[in-house]
Amino acid sequence: MRQARQDLTSKNAGRGENIVTALLFGAAGVSVLCVAAILGFLAYFCLPLVTEGQLGAVLSWHWRPMQGQFGILPMAVGSLLLGGAAMLLAYPLGLGLCLFVHGLGPAKAARPLMALVRLMTSVPTVVYGLVSVFLLVPLIRSGFSGSGFSWLAALLVLALLVLPTIVLVIDSQLRLVAPGLRLTAAALGLTRAQELLHLALPLSARGLKAAAVLGFGRAVGDTLIPLMLSGNAAQVPHGLLDSLRALTAHIALVVATDSQSAAYNSLFACGVILFAGTLFVNLGLRGLREGKEPGALPDSWGVLAAALLPSLAWTAAIAVPAAFVCQMASLLWRGLPSFGPALFFGDTPPLDALFHAAPVFEGIWPACLGSICLVLLSAGIAVPFGVASGMYLAEYAGARAKAVIGFCVDLLAGIPSILMGLFGFALILLLRRTLAPGANTCLLLSGLCLALLVLPYLISATRACLEGLPPELRLTGASLGLTRWQLTSRILLPAARPGILSGVILAVGRAAEDTAVILLTGVVANAGAPGLLTDKFEALPFSIYYLAAEYQTPQELAQAFGAALVLLCLTTALFAGARGLWTGPKHNKRSAS
Amino acid sequence: MRSVRKLLLPVLTFSLLLAAGPAQAGDLDAFTGKSGKIDIAGGTAHIPVMKEAAKRIMQKNPSIRITVAGGGSGVGVQKVGEGLVDIGNTGRALTDAETAKYGLKSYAFAIDGVAAVVHPHNPVANLSHQQVQDIFAGKITNWKVLGGRDAAIHLYTRDEASGTREVFWEIMLKKGKIADNANVVASNGAMKSALAGDADGIGYVSIGHIDKSIKAPTLDGVAPTQEHAKSGKYPVIRKLYMNTKGAPQGIVSSFISYIQGPEGAAITASDGYIPTH
Repeated sequence: MRQARQDLTSKNAGRGENIVTALLFGAAGVSVLCVAAILGFLAYFCLPLVTEGQLGAVLSWHWRPMQGQFGILPMAVGSLLLGGAAMLLAYPLGLGLCLFVHGLGPAKAARPLMALVRLMTSVPTVVYGLVSVFLLVPLIRSGFSGSGFSWLAALLVLALLVLPTIVLVIDSQLRLVAPGLRLTAAALGLTRAQELLHLALPLSARGLKAAAVLGFGRAVGDTLIPLMLSGNAAQVPHGLLDSLRALTAHIALVVATDSQSAAYNSLFACGVILFAGTLFVNLGLRGLREGKEPGALPDSWGVLAAALLPSLAWTAAIAVPAAFVCQMASLLWRGLPSFGPALFFGDTPPLDALFHAAPVFEGIWPACLGSICLVLLSAGIAVPFGVASGMYLAEYAGARAKAVIGFCVDLLAGIPSILMGLFGFALILLLRRTLAPGANTCLLLSGLCLALLVLPYLISATRACLEGLPPELRLTGASLGLTRWQLTSRILLPAARPGILSGVILAVGRAAEDTAVILLTGVVANAGAPGLLTDKFEALPFSIYYLAAEYQTPQELAQAFGAALVLLCLTTALFAGARGLWTGPKHNKRSAS
Repeated sequence: MRSVRKLLLPVLTFSLLLAAGPAQAGDLDAFTGKSGKIDIAGGTAHIPVMKEAAKRIMQKNPSIRITVAGGGSGVGVQKVGEGLVDIGNTGRALTDAETAKYGLKSYAFAIDGVAAVVHPHNPVANLSHQQVQDIFAGKITNWKVLGGRDAAIHLYTRDEASGTREVFWEIMLKKGKIADNANVVASNGAMKSALAGDADGIGYVSIGHIDKSIKAPTLDGVAPTQEHAKSGKYPVIRKLYMNTKGAPQGIVSSFISYIQGPEGAAITASDGYIPTH
């Protein structure tokens, strides 16, 4: 079939077709360029460390900039410990939840549980952070010892954050292998649980590993939860109740320092470490995808599994919803009372603010407007590039281009968002010293960096939708004598539209909730309604982060919870919309021809 | 206390305006008919004053846009030095190196002290200079030693960009050690809210940020108040500065005059600082 398509296009390949191909290739090239640019920036700013012999000072164990010690090793260890511990908790729970849903628990509970997990994916990290500062941290402080801002607090919340990733990956793998096993299992007289333990799980080894790798990447890449909950002491913690500082939080805290000193350059060393981590995660995933099918598991597996897994499944099915519901109940309880015109408009009359652009000072209305502008801007930039790149990868690219660009897209998807922010910030400093002395952190820069963040989601969604279309559609195109562009634009794109649209909505949700990127690229606490693209701006996630730390009155704290509720409603609505639209093709993977 | 201050403010301002009459240099009339934007970042002790001034100016003249961000004094120096903002605030004097490197000009508008603060329920009412140093160095680790309850001391400090940290470290701690296990928070406001929630915590804030949600023990018997800071009885003091790259122009210049003028002084005083003008 592919042969037929190529014959067709080579015959009909006119000039227009070539231009389209070139344009799509250009769009796809953008993500490769972005990855190269980010890596280039990190390397460029790290270089002074090497040439000036400060590498030893940076790769040491003490962060005391006043005394000329810029050691980032405690932060690297902090990131590893935090991500690792969060995974140690989240992974068994995620696995347990999957097993519960796939047969170890009552069938009736499966659907609501999975719905809950999907709901969890839509919760912004800053909302988790806010709720936990006022719920979990005091609990730990009174229940154990220490200030509560600790490794433990951060790891518990981080586990909740990465859990949906783990569950969804394992779940999709189980769905993939389960249908082929049903007859075998029935013939052997196995119960659903036995089938799951002895057949499905061992065959899902690849998905199980992928879930671990992806979850770990997500845990290490998060900025807001360590920043808000871990205490941020630049030390290697001695226990779970000690304070620690993660690399991502370190970048957010220190980006402020003098931009020509070793402290500033050391941040890029942190960036390189994070980037290297992303690279390893991706190489690991690639290895999993291309590796051999897993061999037999040791005999002890059955005994161990039979003994432990059912209780694990039940623990997970009770503990995870309980933890999540606690968080959300606390948010509702503290956020709902503040709901009203005053939350949005402060002491400005709402109608004046809405229709006469009267400035609002004590409400979150400017932040709402700022977030909307930011999301529209980043979507406006990312959607054309993302969809075009996805089209190129699915329909035009040769095997080699597919491999290279695909790898860069995966890499881009794994880069922690704080690095996008750092990239934007460093870019502006460089531009000011070279090409554009007037360049400044602003709405446009944040929009660009956010676009970079969501670009890989768009590309992957578009590509997956196009590749998942039934082969008959392409045959139809061929039989009608369409060119490749005609086929893509008239037949394939319309057929894939719901899926692509849901990708766009998911990307918008991601852009709306991210805090780490805008933190470094132009968001401020007070700016009023958004003005020009080159102005600084307010945005909801930052307002929540800012108010959570800076509140001066109980009203301001209530406002933070109100803002969190607004943001949560927004992202949940977007995710629900994306899910509703996903009525398109089921994931029937195109078989390798 | 704070709400009383807020109520007092319009009255005070109004009476000041009446007394001063129109068109005095440094009042809101300086902004009439002008437009443009002023970006402000840096010192977090400054934020309440900057916000209130921005609000009044923008309400009077909506074609002026003023944005206010925090970050700490280090951010203030860096951002104004790199030209990323128009005014970079610092809670400490600039170093000679900073002034020379970026060509900055400083405008002080307030005197402020920095005080060690604890939770309001903490029974410890007085600390000696030495005790504060030992606490932050990690030598004293339990409140019992200081006459409090038997509980571990939770240290809170600021990041290195903080001018408050620098002043506290230089004058209070005599450049002594701050224990590595101290939690790090990013602003005066965040320090205050962290300590308001932690019964065993100790940290330090700008005196202007002290209200009933936190308590400042006396230092060698001297209460850390702005009056004592002004008279010199309380030693850990600094000035709050606005800094510009070169001489300020246009509305930035008007803004600085406004803050240093009578209305700005009233705002400064109502936020708990001592105006220098």
